[in-house]
Amino acid sequence: MGRDLALIIPEIAVLLTAVGALIAEMLRQPRISLIIAVIGLVVGTGLTLRLLGTDTTVFGGSFRIDTLSIWAKLILLPATVLSMLLARVDVRGSAREGTVYSLLIFSTLGALVLAGAGDSMFLVLGTLLTGLATFALVAYPDTDPATEAAMKFFVFASVTTAIMIFGLSYWFGASGSTLIADLPAMDTMPLAVILGFVTVVVGLGYKASLVPFHFWAPDAYEGAPLSIAAYLSVVPKIGALFALTQVVRHLPPETGWAAVMAGLAVLSMTYGYLAALVQDNVIRLLAYSSIAQSGYFLLGILAVGSSELALPSIILFAVAYAAMNLGAFAVAAIAGRTLNDFSGLGRSRPLIAIAMVVFLLSLVGIPPLAGFVGKFLLFAAAIDVQFTWLAVVAIINSALSLAVYLRIVVPMYRGGDSASVELDAWLGFVVFATVAATFIIGLGAQFMIVRDIV
Amino acid sequence: MSAVLLPILPPLIAALAVLILRRGSAALALAGATLSLAGGVRLLAGALDGQAETLLLPGLPDMPLRLVSGPMTALLSVAVATVGTFVLVYAIGYMKRESGQARFYAVMSLFLAAMQALVLAGDWVLLLAAWELIGLCSYLLIGFWFQRPEAANAASRAFLYTRSADLGLYVAIFILIGSSGTSEIAASLEVGGSASTAAGLLLLLAAMGKSAQVPLQDWLMRAMAGPTPVSALLHSATLVAAGAILLIRSATLLSPEALFAIGLVGGITTVAAGVIALAERDLKRLLAASTASQYGLMLIAVGAGVPTAALLHLLAHAAIKSTLFLAAGDFQHAREGTAFDQLKGVGRARPWAFAGFALAALALAGIPPLSGFFSKDAVIAAALSGQGAAWLGPLALAGTLLTGAYMGRALRVLWQGSGDSRPVEGTGWMRAGIWGLAIPAAGLGLAFGPLETILDLPAPETAGTVAIVLGLVAALVGLALGWLVPVQRLLGPAHQWAESGLEVAGGLTAWIGRPAMAVARGCDRLEDHLYAAALAIGHTALSIARGGERLEQRLYLAVLGVGRANLAVGRWVRSGDERGIDGLIFALVAGVRDLGARARTLQSGLIHHSLAISAVATAVLLAILFSASLSV
Repeated sequence: MGRDLALIIPEIAVLLTAVGALIAEMLRQPRISLIIAVIGLVVGTGLTLRLLGTDTTVFGGSFRIDTLSIWAKLILLPATVLSMLLARVDVRGSAREGTVYSLLIFSTLGALVLAGAGDSMFLVLGTLLTGLATFALVAYPDTDPATEAAMKFFVFASVTTAIMIFGLSYWFGASGSTLIADLPAMDTMPLAVILGFVTVVVGLGYKASLVPFHFWAPDAYEGAPLSIAAYLSVVPKIGALFALTQVVRHLPPETGWAAVMAGLAVLSMTYGYLAALVQDNVIRLLAYSSIAQSGYFLLGILAVGSSELALPSIILFAVAYAAMNLGAFAVAAIAGRTLNDFSGLGRSRPLIAIAMVVFLLSLVGIPPLAGFVGKFLLFAAAIDVQFTWLAVVAIINSALSLAVYLRIVVPMYRGGDSASVELDAWLGFVVFATVAATFIIGLGAQFMIVRDIV
Repeated sequence: MSAVLLPILPPLIAALAVLILRRGSAALALAGATLSLAGGVRLLAGALDGQAETLLLPGLPDMPLRLVSGPMTALLSVAVATVGTFVLVYAIGYMKRESGQARFYAVMSLFLAAMQALVLAGDWVLLLAAWELIGLCSYLLIGFWFQRPEAANAASRAFLYTRSADLGLYVAIFILIGSSGTSEIAASLEVGGSASTAAGLLLLLAAMGKSAQVPLQDWLMRAMAGPTPVSALLHSATLVAAGAILLIRSATLLSPEALFAIGLVGGITTVAAGVIALAERDLKRLLAASTASQYGLMLIAVGAGVPTAALLHLLAHAAIKSTLFLAAGDFQHAREGTAFDQLKGVGRARPWAFAGFALAALALAGIPPLSGFFSKDAVIAAALSGQGAAWLGPLALAGTLLTGAYMGRALRVLWQGSGDSRPVEGTGWMRAGIWGLAIPAAGLGLAFGPLETILDLPAPETAGTVAIVLGLVAALVGLALGWLVPVQRLLGPAHQWAESGLEVAGGLTAWIGRPAMAVARGCDRLEDHLYAAALAIGHTALSIARGGERLEQRLYLAVLGVGRANLAVGRWVRSGDERGIDGLIFALVAGVRDLGARARTLQSGLIHHSLAISAVATAVLLAILFSASLSV
């Protein structure tokens, strides 16, 4: 028991931070709440570093301390800090400022539980924990669009989670165990395995906004405060995708799950970019783009268990994705929500505009930026397991994505009038941190792979 | 530190230093380029002694990044650095009045570093990164005056044209790495069979984009909206050269089918772009079209299986074309533009620049003993002796003829007319840049003999008398035509009686001039059509996307329709039961309907419909997996 607790110290630190932030809010001290939150998450990240290289389970195999769950902490905790700095601009001075910080941390805890899930009940727990916190966050501004978006989000989440719980009951019934590692014991009952797997895809697919479970995402991103949209597109999504990885590594290959992943990948990438092509609202455009990027993750996930490259590719792309997507949302927070707001940004705020170009080129996957390394490894992983056609589809989609992102870049440098834009120092910091990460990951990925860190 | 890094690091450091310090940018950039030149020369000296240097850097797993210095890469590195240095010298004068100096010199230095990395790259990943970087830098440089709509437009167009062709490079590299298992360029070229043909054709596609071969040549002419030093650098040894360099370096990979395609593309381009150049009415656009035409000649040499000839012509062309552009920039400052109407007689006012221009123009036409004579002879000899001589030979000769013609025309415009000029600032720097490049443009030919012996490629056939004579005749006839034809056009119908006294020349106009113009106009129209077709493809993709959205709306309407039908049924049932059912139930129904109406205002979106789609998708997934597992 002592050993188990020692291994989940980062999670405990995150939980205590959330509670601490809530207490500070109760005492009407939102600034202290923010300080506690930032310090707690940074400490949590630091506590995780010493676990690097560990590969074990705690509490009877129900929670895993492995590469995926450790990297989930290293990615999601800093991402949450950056999201909180973004959120600060939206909620500063409002009545429930500290509540937002606290809810963000609770939701992140849910994503961490998902990423380390070794037991199907942890999948449910993580989904509910992130879900409940994020419904409230989306509804936070108390405007009609926000309430409507939160309502849709809630209905959608309730139905899909119910379906997942229903399917998981078959797994439990067939194997007599809720441990994911016990799945191979059910190979005499392939239909039960398949039913459970499809419902897990539904339950986690909604959270990762995979087509066709994505419908809530554009509305929720548009209705929610911008910082919450940025958070939703990164933290719960990566948690769900890592959880999916934890599940599929125990599925017997003859169920054909890899083909399902490939199909969903094609749907998500293509539909996401095609839909993004006709958006005039930058937030909706980024929402559809993040749907498409989820599809790229699946290239790595379907190679899990058969290719050495699968885990490094998923993790590296997750790091890259978190940096460039948060950065793009931060720039949108500075410039505005419509494409018109971006016109002339290249002149009024040249550095911010260059940062945006970096994020967008990285999202396309152009060397030497982070997105390129991530995508390159994902393609290599897919080719490694004989899914060359899928890699080709993904490359063609990358070409399509250039058209999507150029729709933001072109007005920045061509637009007529350039109203000067206010720049909050914290937003500037977030942009700077994410640009730096985009470059460092792009250039340092080789180092991380060679040293076997990921 | 390995010597291979010497040509790359100084410009890179210079770019960073310019960005950080934001002063003394010209001096910093020039220092970077000069050090890069010194590094290149050192590499070349090492290569002459037979030392091939390789530097491995940590890269992707099992695919280290590598830099290779052999005779060919070192030679190209020297060429890139030489042109870069003198263009920067020239730019000090040319850019004197411009704002945004730091941005200009930083991007120029970065561009130089990226090009050196591309030339020295020994593996596909590094080459790809450098390839993308020069694309990005060229976008920034062509769009340097981004306040002008035509410059911003031209930059986007150049980026999109070359980007779309770059897709070929990505797929080619995937094929090569996939089938050979290594990312090292030299080793991966050993794959034979269908992979080599496919990769060769895809590399050709990438090269066509960068080297502006038909039908992707349009961006090059429009890229003239950028500053002239940028044009000089882009057109001679860097951006446009990257395409030809790619093909020359992968010459050992190319299968007969790929060689045929390369020769065909090169041949068509050299003639079509030559005709376009002849029809241009602007000096910089003429030079741009001529660049495409000359790269067509290089592709002919590669297609004939003699890449060495292509390399020699690439080197000669680098010096010549940069001289021409720099001189054109000098004229541009003297007359505020480069249209022929503005430039008449400017050569008399700017004798030093004109002398450099004339020297380079004669070299490009192929007049001995200037460098173009030797390199063009090598190309013609290759075209006449290699495979497909029957059609490559005539195309190469036609290209040479056209080269003479448009150069003759340009020289005439510059020389005839009144020689007045505005005062030009920074003439000294500009003159130094022009002559620093004009001298190699004239004398480089003498070095070709030794160069051929050190290159580790199959040596070209020594040019036979036939090739020399044919090439020289074509060049001289072209020059004479170019000098004479515009005279007839200027005289026009008013002076027809005078024409009758010059029957032969008049005949030439009728037989060659007018059809050439008609063909040129046709080419121009074809280009517009191609552009329209590209636009149409884009529109189609957009309308498909819109169609998807409309379909979604229709589905939603259909779902709504079902709902309405249900309501109607409900109303009908109610009207039947109205008398029999008491007020309590009636009130309940009304209450429920009221609630429903409230819910509807809350959910103006598509939630029922989207959940239905998700449920159907779940059922489809289940059905597929179940049927698959049952059939096993």
